[in-house]
Amino acid sequence: MSTLYYLIQNMLPVATSLLLVALGGMFSEVGGVINIALEGIMLFGAYFAALFVYLVQGSGMNPQVILLLGMLVAAVAGLIYSLLLSFAAVTMKANQTITGTALNMLIPAVVLLFSKMFFMSDGVTTNINFYIRKVPVLGDIPIIGPLFFQRTYLTVMIGFALLIIATLVFYKTRFGLRLRACGEHPHAADSVGINVHKMRYLGTCISGILGGIGGFFYSVGIMDGNVNGHTGVAGFGFLALAVMIFGQWRPGKIFLGALFFAFLRTLAYSISLIPFLYNLGIDQTYYKMLPYVATMIVLAFTSKKSRAPKAEGIPYDKSLR
Amino acid sequence: MEKYIIEMINITKVFPGIVANDNITLRLKKGEIHALLGENGAGKSTLMSVLFGLYQPDGGEIRKNGQVVKINNPNDANDLGIGMVHQHFKLVEIFTVLENIILGVEPSKMGFIQKKEAREKVLKLSEKYGLKIDPDARIEDITVGMQQRVEILKMLYRDNEILIFDEPTAVLTPQEINELLKIMRGFANEGKSILFITHKLNEIMAVADRCTVLRKGKLIGTVDVKDTTKEELSRMMVGRDVSFKVDKKDAELGDVVLSVRNLSVPSKIHKKDAVRNVSFDVRRGEIVCIAGIDGNGQTELVSAITGLEKASGGSIYLNGNDITKASIRKRSVEGISHIPEDRHKHGLVLDYKLEENLVLQRYWQPDFQNKGFIKFDAVRKYANKLIDKFDIRSGQGPITITRSMSGGNQQKAIIAREIDKKHDLLVAVQPTRGLDIGAIEYVHKQLVEARDTGAAVLLVSLELDEVMNVSDRILVMYEGEIVGELDPKKTNVQELGLYMSGAKRDLVKEINDAG
Amino acid sequence: MQDKNDIINKKSFSLKNINFSSFTSTLLAILLGLIFGFFVMLFAMPANALAGLRLIAFGGFSRLGDVLYYATPILMTGLSVGFAFKMGLFNIGASGQYTMGMFFAMYAGFMWTLPRGVHWIAAILFGMVGGMLWGFIPGFFKAILNVNEVITSIMFNYIGMYLVDMWIRSSSVMYNSTMTRTNYLPQSVQIPALGIKGSNVNFGIVLAILIGILLYIVLQKTTFGYELKATGYNKHAAEYAGMKGKRNIILTMMIAGALSGLGGAFAILAPSGIPGSSITYEPINIIAANGFNGIAVALLGNSHPIGIIFSALFISHLQRGGTLSSLVGYKPEIVDVVIAIIIYFSAFAMIVNAAIGNFIKKRIKKTHTNIIEDLIEEQDLTDASNNNQKEAE
Repeated sequence: MSTLYYLIQNMLPVATSLLLVALGGMFSEVGGVINIALEGIMLFGAYFAALFVYLVQGSGMNPQVILLLGMLVAAVAGLIYSLLLSFAAVTMKANQTITGTALNMLIPAVVLLFSKMFFMSDGVTTNINFYIRKVPVLGDIPIIGPLFFQRTYLTVMIGFALLIIATLVFYKTRFGLRLRACGEHPHAADSVGINVHKMRYLGTCISGILGGIGGFFYSVGIMDGNVNGHTGVAGFGFLALAVMIFGQWRPGKIFLGALFFAFLRTLAYSISLIPFLYNLGIDQTYYKMLPYVATMIVLAFTSKKSRAPKAEGIPYDKSLR
Repeated sequence: MEKYIIEMINITKVFPGIVANDNITLRLKKGEIHALLGENGAGKSTLMSVLFGLYQPDGGEIRKNGQVVKINNPNDANDLGIGMVHQHFKLVEIFTVLENIILGVEPSKMGFIQKKEAREKVLKLSEKYGLKIDPDARIEDITVGMQQRVEILKMLYRDNEILIFDEPTAVLTPQEINELLKIMRGFANEGKSILFITHKLNEIMAVADRCTVLRKGKLIGTVDVKDTTKEELSRMMVGRDVSFKVDKKDAELGDVVLSVRNLSVPSKIHKKDAVRNVSFDVRRGEIVCIAGIDGNGQTELVSAITGLEKASGGSIYLNGNDITKASIRKRSVEGISHIPEDRHKHGLVLDYKLEENLVLQRYWQPDFQNKGFIKFDAVRKYANKLIDKFDIRSGQGPITITRSMSGGNQQKAIIAREIDKKHDLLVAVQPTRGLDIGAIEYVHKQLVEARDTGAAVLLVSLELDEVMNVSDRILVMYEGEIVGELDPKKTNVQELGLYMSGAKRDLVKEINDAG
Repeated sequence: MQDKNDIINKKSFSLKNINFSSFTSTLLAILLGLIFGFFVMLFAMPANALAGLRLIAFGGFSRLGDVLYYATPILMTGLSVGFAFKMGLFNIGASGQYTMGMFFAMYAGFMWTLPRGVHWIAAILFGMVGGMLWGFIPGFFKAILNVNEVITSIMFNYIGMYLVDMWIRSSSVMYNSTMTRTNYLPQSVQIPALGIKGSNVNFGIVLAILIGILLYIVLQKTTFGYELKATGYNKHAAEYAGMKGKRNIILTMMIAGALSGLGGAFAILAPSGIPGSSITYEPINIIAANGFNGIAVALLGNSHPIGIIFSALFISHLQRGGTLSSLVGYKPEIVDVVIAIIIYFSAFAMIVNAAIGNFIKKRIKKTHTNIIEDLIEEQDLTDASNNNQKEAE
C-alpha cells in the first residue's frame, strides 16, 4: 500500500506539469494557432523563475511564498516568449510549425549562453527546498491525506485549481466560446464581430502563461528547483502536445491523459521499489521508453477519428473567402 | 423626406490587382425587397460585405436614414440594424444551433454565458416567424435547410431591420425556395428592408420590388421589377442577348457504358449509408444528369464511380468490366474521365505549371516518360496543343503557374485534359460552378460535343436550368436513393422539385439484367 | 484575339519578371540573425563584439577543411528534412534516424570484419538501413493509422536514443565501461580522408554533395519527383490523379530516414584528430543535435537540394566561426542563438520580402511611361480581375 502512495505522490508533480502545458497547448490550438514551441516556452519560464529563486534564496522567505512568486515570474516569462510566436503566426502569417521549431531551438542556446557566461555552468542551481512533507490537517485524513497531501509540492494543488479554472473558462464563458469559434471557423467568428487576431493572440498568451508555469513546476517537482540548458525539460513540451492530441483538445480528457503518462513515467523510475517488477530483471531502459511507446500505442488506436480544430495552422486572412 | 433607409453612394473597393466595386450607388427603401443582380464575379458579394462591415470601402460613403455612417466591422453593422445571411454559411460546425445564434452577442454575467435567457428568446423568435429549429442540435448534424434557418435567426436575434440575403436559394428545393420568398415578403410587409443578392432571374421577377444590376464591378442600372422583363435584366447583366436554351440535337443512344448495380456507399458523418442500393445505366451518346439537393449522396456516388471512395456494397461495371474494386488509375485507363466538383481541391495542383497540370492524368504513360524520366519536350508539345484546341488563356502559356489563372480558364484546363484523354465515360460534377455566362456556354458545348462523339456523359448538377436544358435524362437522388427518372422534355421544374424534396417518388425500378 | 495574345506574350519582359525570390528573403533572414547576434555580443561583452562578429561571419574561411568536415552530417540531415518537406511532411525525427544510422554503422564497424576498401562502404550502407527503418515508422503511422508524423517522430527520437544507448552499453565489444564510451572504431571502417592538410575532411562530403545532386535530379526530372511534389502541394489532387498517396508517404519517409541515417554514419565513421568527435560515441541519453541542425539547414535552403548544400556549408561556416569567437571570450553557443534567430526570421522573411518587393515595383511603375506597358497593365488587371472575381464567389 505504501508503494501505491509512493507512486501517486511521485506521479502527481509530473502529471501537474504535463497537464498545465497541455492545457496551454489546448488554448492556443483551439484558437487556431499550432504551438510547437511549448518545449521552449517551458524552459524559458523555468529559467527565469529559477533565476528569481536564485536571487531570493538567501532572503529567508518562506519557500512556498517563493514558489508562488516564482510561478508569477514564470507566467510572465512564458507570456513574453509566446508573443514571439503570436507575432509571427498571427500578424506576419508565417508558418507556425517552423516558427515554433525556431523558438524551441533558440532557448536552450540562450540558456546555455547566459549560464556559461554568468554562472560558469550549464544552468541554474538553487538550494530552496519546496518539498512539503505533510500539509497540516489535510495530511491526516485517511487515504486522501497520504495520497494528495503528504510528500508533495504546492504545485499539485495549484495545478488542480488551474485545471478547474481552465475547464470553466473553456466551456462556460463568452471568451471560451469565441476562442473556439476562431479555431474552428474564423470567418464565422469575424462575421459576428469577433476580432480573430486578438482572440488568437490571447489564446497563445494563455498557452505562454500555462507553459511557463508548467516549466517552472517541472523544475520544482522533478529537477529539485534546478534548470539545465542541456537537458532542458526533457521533451516534456512535446509530450504535452501528445497529451493534448490524446485528450482531443478537451480539458477533461487531457487531465486523464496527463495522469496516464505521468503514472507510466513514475513507474519507470520506481522499478526497484516494486519487488514484482524488479524481479523480472528487465533493463531499466525499457521502462524509460514506456511512456513513449505507450503514447504511440494509444495514438495508433485513437487517431482514426482524431478531430483537430478545423482552422488550426491556417493564418487568418480576411480577403480569402 | 428620408424614404431611403440605406444609401451606398459612390462605393469603390479595390483588391490587389482588381477593382471589385467601381463607383457604385445603391439606394434601399424601407420595407422593400431590393434585388442585386449580376454574374459570378460582378461584385455583388463584395458590395454587401462592405455594407456589413467585413470590408472597408476605398471610396464613397454609406448613409442610414440620411446620416453618414461608418461601418468598420460587423458589430457596427449590427448596431445599425444590418444583418446578413451568407452564401457560404458562417456557422461553427461543432457548436449547437443556440451557440451559433448567440456567438458574439452572448448574454453574460461576469463573463459567464447565460444560456437559459438566450434559449428563451430564440424559441420565441422561432415561433413567431415559423422557423423551426432544435437549439441543441449540432450544426454538423442538421440539414442545409435548417442551417439556413439558423442564419436567419441569427439576424432576428439581433433585432436586425435591414436584412441581406446572399444567394440564399442555391441550396434549396423549389418548394423551399417558395417558402423562403414568402418569409422574405413577410419581413418586408412588417417594415424590414431586404437586400437580396442573386443571379436567378425567376426569383427576382417573383418577389423583388426593384433590382440593381452590376457587371464586372460597375453599376449598370436600377429598375423597377414590374416595369422590366427577364430578357432585359439578363441583357443588363451580361451585356448581350443570352439564349437560355442549349443547342443540341436529339440523343443517339449506343451501348451501355456505365452500369451501376445495387451500389451502396457509406457516409463519413452519418450512420446511414450516403448511397443506398442505387442502380442505373448510362449509354453512349446520352447525357444523364443526377439531380438533387446537395448532400443527398451525389458526391459519394461519383466518388465511388471514380474510385475516390470505396463502396460498401453492389457493383460498378464499365464496358462490361467490373471496376468496383479497381484503383483510380485503373479506372482512368479503362476509360473514365472526371471533371471534379472542386477544381481547386481535386482538379488541379495550383502550384504546378499549366503544362504539368495538363499531363496530370498521363504523366506516367510512355508518351511522357522514359524509364522514370519525364520527357519535357513531349509534355510541352502536348500542352501547347491543348491550349490551342481549347483556347485556354493564361499569363505565360504552358509555364504559367496555374494558381494565377482565372477560374474559367482553370476549368477549361481541366476540361481540356479530361476530354482529350481517351474516354468512354465522362463524369462532370457541377462543371459550371462559379463561371460566367460565356464560360458556362462553352462548358455546355463541350459536354454536348462529347456526347455526340460517342461518349457516355454523367452530369451532376445543382443548377435547375442546367439540369433541364443540358441533360437527355434526369435521375433524381434523395437521401441516397434514386427516387425518380424524368425526361426533361416532358417534365418541369415544379415536378423536379417535388422529387428533389422527397415529396414524390417512383417505385424503385428493378433493373432486369437477365433478359 | 490576335492582339490580345500578343500583348499577353509580351509579358515576358514586363515588370512581373522582377522576381524577388526566396534567395533574397533568405539573405534578409541571415542579415537579421547576424545583427541580433551582434547585439547579444554587445550586451555580453561590448569590447570584443566587433571582433566576435567578424570571427563568426568570416572565421570559417580560415578553417575550410573543418567547415567541410562538419558540414557533412548536417547536409545529410538537411536533405532528409528538406526532402520530406517537399512532400508536406515535417521530419522532426531526423535525430532519431541519425542516431540509428550511426548505431548501425558502428555495429558494422565493430562486429564485422571486412577488408579495408569494403568495410567502410558496408558500414555506410548498413547505417543507411538503420535510418531507413527509423524513417519507415513515422511514415507507416501517418499513412496507415493517420497519426501525426510530428508526434511519432518525436516519440521515436526518444525511443531510438534509449535503445541505442542500451544496446551499446550491453555490448562488451562496443562498450568500454571505464571510459564510459565506446571503443574506437577500427581503421578499416573509417571513411578515407581527402588528404587536405590540417583537417580531417574526408570522402563523406563528396558523397553527401553527390547525393544532394542526385536528389535534385529525382525531384525535378523524374515521375517520382513529380508525384512527390504534387502530393506535397495538394494531396487531394494527387489522389484524384491516381497517385498512390499512402505508398508515397511511406517511401518518402524511408528515403528521408535513409538520408539522416547516412548523416549519422558519415559522422561516426569520419577519421578524426579531435578525440571524441567521431570514431567513438558516448551513450549519455542525448538527442542528436545534428538532427535539429538539419531542420535549420533545410529551412534556410528552402527545401531545395542545391540550396541545402549551400546552407549546410554556410551553417557549418558559422559554427566554425562561433568556435573561433571563443578566442575572444564568447561562448560557442552564441552561434546557436544566431542560427535560431535566422530560422525564426526566415519563417516570415518571405512576407517582408514581398512587401519590400511590391514597394519597389510601385516606385518603378510611377516613372514608367511606356504605352505598351500600360496596355499590358490593363490586361493584367482584367485577367486578375477575372481571376479574383471568379474565385471570390
